[in-house]
Amino acid sequence: MPDEFLIAKELHKSFSEIKAVNGVSFSINRGEIFGLLGPNGAGKTTTIRMLATVLQPDSGEVTIGGYSTHQNAPKARSLIGVCPQDLALYEELSAIDNLVFFGRMSGLDGKEAKEQADINLRLMGLEDRAKGKIAKFSGGMKRRINLAVALMGTPEMLFLDEPTVGIDPQSRNSIYEVIENLRDKGMTILYTTHYMEEASRLCKRVAIIDGGQMIAMDTPTALKSQIGDPDKITLEDVFLHYTGRSLRD
Amino acid sequence: MIKALYVALLETKIFLTDKAGLAFSLLLPIAIFALMYGAFGGQTIFHGTAYMVNQDVDAQGQANYYSDLIVEQLDGLDSLDVSILSEADAQRKLDRSDILMAFYIPEGFSDDIDSGLSSQLTIKQRGNGGDEGQIVASIVRGMVENINQQLQVHAKVAGAVGGNYNQDTVNEYLANRTVSVNTSVGESSAPDPVKEFLPGIVTMFILFGISMNARALYEERKRGTLERLVTTRLGVGQMFTGKFLSYVARGFIQTLILLSLAYAVFGGDLFTTASFFKALFICLVFSGAAGAFGLIIGSVSRSEGQAIWMAVFFTMSMVMLGGTFFPIPEDTVFFTISKFSINTYINDALRAITADNASLTSLWPELLIMAGVIVVGLAASRYMFRVISK
Repeated sequence: MPDEFLIAKELHKSFSEIKAVNGVSFSINRGEIFGLLGPNGAGKTTTIRMLATVLQPDSGEVTIGGYSTHQNAPKARSLIGVCPQDLALYEELSAIDNLVFFGRMSGLDGKEAKEQADINLRLMGLEDRAKGKIAKFSGGMKRRINLAVALMGTPEMLFLDEPTVGIDPQSRNSIYEVIENLRDKGMTILYTTHYMEEASRLCKRVAIIDGGQMIAMDTPTALKSQIGDPDKITLEDVFLHYTGRSLRD
Repeated sequence: MIKALYVALLETKIFLTDKAGLAFSLLLPIAIFALMYGAFGGQTIFHGTAYMVNQDVDAQGQANYYSDLIVEQLDGLDSLDVSILSEADAQRKLDRSDILMAFYIPEGFSDDIDSGLSSQLTIKQRGNGGDEGQIVASIVRGMVENINQQLQVHAKVAGAVGGNYNQDTVNEYLANRTVSVNTSVGESSAPDPVKEFLPGIVTMFILFGISMNARALYEERKRGTLERLVTTRLGVGQMFTGKFLSYVARGFIQTLILLSLAYAVFGGDLFTTASFFKALFICLVFSGAAGAFGLIIGSVSRSEGQAIWMAVFFTMSMVMLGGTFFPIPEDTVFFTISKFSINTYINDALRAITADNASLTSLWPELLIMAGVIVVGLAASRYMFRVISK
């Protein structure tokens, strides 16, 4: 019996007349990397924002590590780290200042925050840029710091919303290695991306969401098998099979 | 509370990293003070210029007796300078609005008086002659009336004692027949522009910080760090308290510079040591109220432009409704409306402190209202942030 770390039940969220999320349910097992795939505007980010306690769902329930995000948000927050799609850093400050600050906000004391900041900078290969201002970093370095911030406070679960968008292959590969390393240490991860090879490489299971609804969910191999020979079919074929080829933007 | 302080510290750190912004924000109070001093410093009584065209001159161009008397007596007044212009110059200056009023002493002015005929000065003016012109005209009229009375006295004395009389005879005649006005100037009764306008300048200065704070909060929301903070163990209340503390500190430091300069330059005329610290305390509380408003505006703004213009609108409304620079007459609808402006309360409090060295306990209604604004503002901004974030 898998240990379900995150459970989302019948999530609904509307903005004015638009139903952004319409009855999404799924669970993520402890230590699993779960991929959430979907075209632009499918409802991925709204779903993540609800799971990460930023948005309140109109209806439905989320529990993380057994804590309801509605009834016990502080406890749920103590278990998660969020790496948003857009860089959310204080660009005027140094890398170490950003890490220490978010560490303090995650409940670490000054010494712990500093120690963990150093560890995370080393993990990202940025220890020699600790005192550099974020504003002067390259796109890839900023992405790595964005991820490092999410790791402050030693969360049990990470929400990674397109963490590799717009960076070079070297930085992307470095982030993959960090994520795989975290998975090996038992971290539970919710991962969204538009890069299907990324999802194939990292995710144990993936879900495809479109129009605010979950339209497929399984392991990448099982999903490929549903539409043909898994050795010849790519995850992108699966994605296009379920979501169609028409432009969404 | 420690997390809130840490947020405040971070805000301050960000503020300090922008060296140009920091320099400007610290120089701003100094610049405002310099402007205030230049505009009001030491100028506590009226001083104007009477532009005169004297056409009552003899063949050599020398002023005749009575026109010379008028010019001489006007020029002797501390509050007035006399500038003699030719008729052409006066007309040109009036046409160009270089001056708004000129006094013409007509040809034959002295001869007419000597002959027992009436004579009159002529005033030419643009529009209403301006505030200064109207005051100068009153002074000139008073002076002419004075000379007129002297002439009447001389005529009376001449009638009473016959043709042979001198100034002693006139003085003797007037000995028991004088009416005069004795003006007693109390220590604080002279209007002091610095005392009058300093509260307004200080409050407006603090209010300008609202747009900076609202914009900063909007920018943080836009770059995602605000949302990221929400997912940490930092509560929204702690986050807003931290930002509030940082805004208050920034506003207060700038106000401290402004008031310290005022104290250093105007010294005892403006503050005693005790009243200086009381004024600082009042400004600290008002900075809190302004900081709370900045948070509300920043919470509800959906664009940078919205944040700035909402803050500007709020600032200007408060300044205008709060009697910041001009007292609002009682028993008017604006007087009632002014009670809804927080400026009313700080202006009243600062004026009471600078004018009467009022005690803080006597200012409890103003302090209570400003403290109430802080509490309600913080609660409202937190609530609105949650609503907007939904």
